[in-house]
Amino acid sequence: MQQAMSVFVLNSKAAKPVDMDEESRSSDSEQPITARSDEQLMLAYCGGQFDASGIAAFNELFSRYKQPVFGFFRRRLADAAQAEELTQETFIVILRSADRYASSALFRTYLYSIGFNILRSHRRKLAFRALFQSTGETTREPETHTSIDADMQIRQAVGRLEHIDREVLLLREFEQLSYAEIAEVLSLPVNTVRTRLFRARIALREILSAPVTIPSGATLAKIKERP
Amino acid sequence: MTTSTHPVSPEEIMAFVDGELAAAESQAVSSHLESCTECAAVAQQFQSLSQSLSQWNVESIPSNVENAIQEANAGTSPVAKIGRAKSLNRSGRTWKLWIYGFGGAATAALVLLVSVSTMSRRQYSHAYLKPEQEEKSEISTYAPVPSPDTAVSTSSQIVSRARASAPMPAAPAAPLAMVEKGIMGGGGGGGYHADVKAPSAPMIARTVSLTMRVKDIPTARTALDGILAQHRGYAAQLTINTPENASRSFQASLRIPAQDLAAALGDLKRLGRVENETQSGEEVTQQHTDLVARLKTARETEERFRAILQQRTGKIEDVLQVEQEIERVRGEIEGMEAGQKALEHRVDFASVELTLTEEYKAQLTPPANSVSTRMHNAFVAGYRNALETVVAIVLFFIEFGPTILIIAVIFGLPVYLAWRRYRRNLARL
Repeated sequence: MQQAMSVFVLNSKAAKPVDMDEESRSSDSEQPITARSDEQLMLAYCGGQFDASGIAAFNELFSRYKQPVFGFFRRRLADAAQAEELTQETFIVILRSADRYASSALFRTYLYSIGFNILRSHRRKLAFRALFQSTGETTREPETHTSIDADMQIRQAVGRLEHIDREVLLLREFEQLSYAEIAEVLSLPVNTVRTRLFRARIALREILSAPVTIPSGATLAKIKERP
Repeated sequence: MTTSTHPVSPEEIMAFVDGELAAAESQAVSSHLESCTECAAVAQQFQSLSQSLSQWNVESIPSNVENAIQEANAGTSPVAKIGRAKSLNRSGRTWKLWIYGFGGAATAALVLLVSVSTMSRRQYSHAYLKPEQEEKSEISTYAPVPSPDTAVSTSSQIVSRARASAPMPAAPAAPLAMVEKGIMGGGGGGGYHADVKAPSAPMIARTVSLTMRVKDIPTARTALDGILAQHRGYAAQLTINTPENASRSFQASLRIPAQDLAAALGDLKRLGRVENETQSGEEVTQQHTDLVARLKTARETEERFRAILQQRTGKIEDVLQVEQEIERVRGEIEGMEAGQKALEHRVDFASVELTLTEEYKAQLTPPANSVSTRMHNAFVAGYRNALETVVAIVLFFIEFGPTILIIAVIFGLPVYLAWRRYRRNLARL
């Protein structure tokens, strides 16, 4: 480990603040890698991108967040392949721009902010592309037959919410972010987050409690088209 | 649920369920929920909603994605990573480089500007100094010339003599008899022996050119009037120039009695700093002597003609001819007398060409208009400009409005439709 560190110091010109390095080294010796916080791991990765400890730290982070991040995209995108692509992109961005990570930030917020930005630019790209496609239906969710009815029902219901309300709800219910974290990711005031979350939940409860017939493809499309 | 009888709002209950309330508020809501079944039901609804949502599971991440990311992390060689990091750093560095580049360029431009301005100022001051140097050299060349006092004293003698001769037109040539013995011979009137004291004294018409720099033109002019009065001189011509953004100048053509010239010049030089002084004396003795001799001859001729007219009798034609001759000679005599007087005046009164230049005082505001006038002008101009602008805008829209409208419809409508579709697409995603 010490050897690896010295190699890093020799090779890297992007010198990190010494205290950060010290912190990661001391925490290294104290705790096993699985017991360390996200932020510690991220700092360890920032401090040692090119040695074994950094790689291990990132792998630990990845193993913690691969499923949540994939879920984040999967719930928001109809196409599983696109969700996979964006998940990959998110982690690659984390890998490449570790320099930009500020130690004061919560790793979760940082991660979902990146994810949200990637998602937004992907949506814009799709919406723009759809302008030049004759029907615009290609961006429409292809029916995935693997999902069970309950999933489908919730997905439809969530899809009927207003755009920002939906984001707030999803970040709260599935990514388990606090109101403050949601506010940071979406660049909204905390009070607005609470109000929108309340509105979204009330609306969703009404949608879900309404008697829903087993939706056929055609009716689903109609529901989806509503703003 | 939304009744106002409850101390806590449903939104607060939701925040309580989410664990987002502060301790005190949380306590309050918690105690209320224990007592109020309605609110407890609301909390229950939120919880059940979350539960039902949690049923929405997604499939696990495909292993190929997982592998790809892990490869990106560890699988690639450290060299590649360093290269990547370097390239990232480089992007940061280029950003900094741009800043340094711009900063450097701005500094260089500033230095260039400052140096150019100081250089031009130095050149200006150099040009400004030149006249003084020239003045020095002129003064030095002027120095070997005999002192003006002696010259003036001699000329004053001439003048006094000329004055003495002036009231005696009967013997105008008398003073010059002493000067030009060759012509007059020894046969001059004995009554003028006193003047023989200075037989070689020349007649000199003096011209002085004086260029000076003074502090204030009006003060200098008052002083000049005093000097003229004191020395019994007069100003033949006066010119004052007051150009904008330049120093005022004053030009005067003065006539000062020759015997007072030295004293008057001394007084004049006290007005300011002498920049240029030129003195010249034109020797007019010869001219004067010629004139006087010719005058004498002409008078003699006239006398002779008159004698002929009185003594002889002859044909009427002859008489007329003689009278014509007398008339011609008389005209010549008068012309020559006038010439003599002018010449003597030039000798009596030295001509001083005085040029005064005021030290240039840059004025903050041009004195042309007062502040109130300029304000008034500015208001008028501002009003007129505003009015013209408004009229121009209105005219522009009248002139091009229909075209703009057509273009907007042709290009704007598709853009608007595309934008609407884009927004709809975005909302659908």
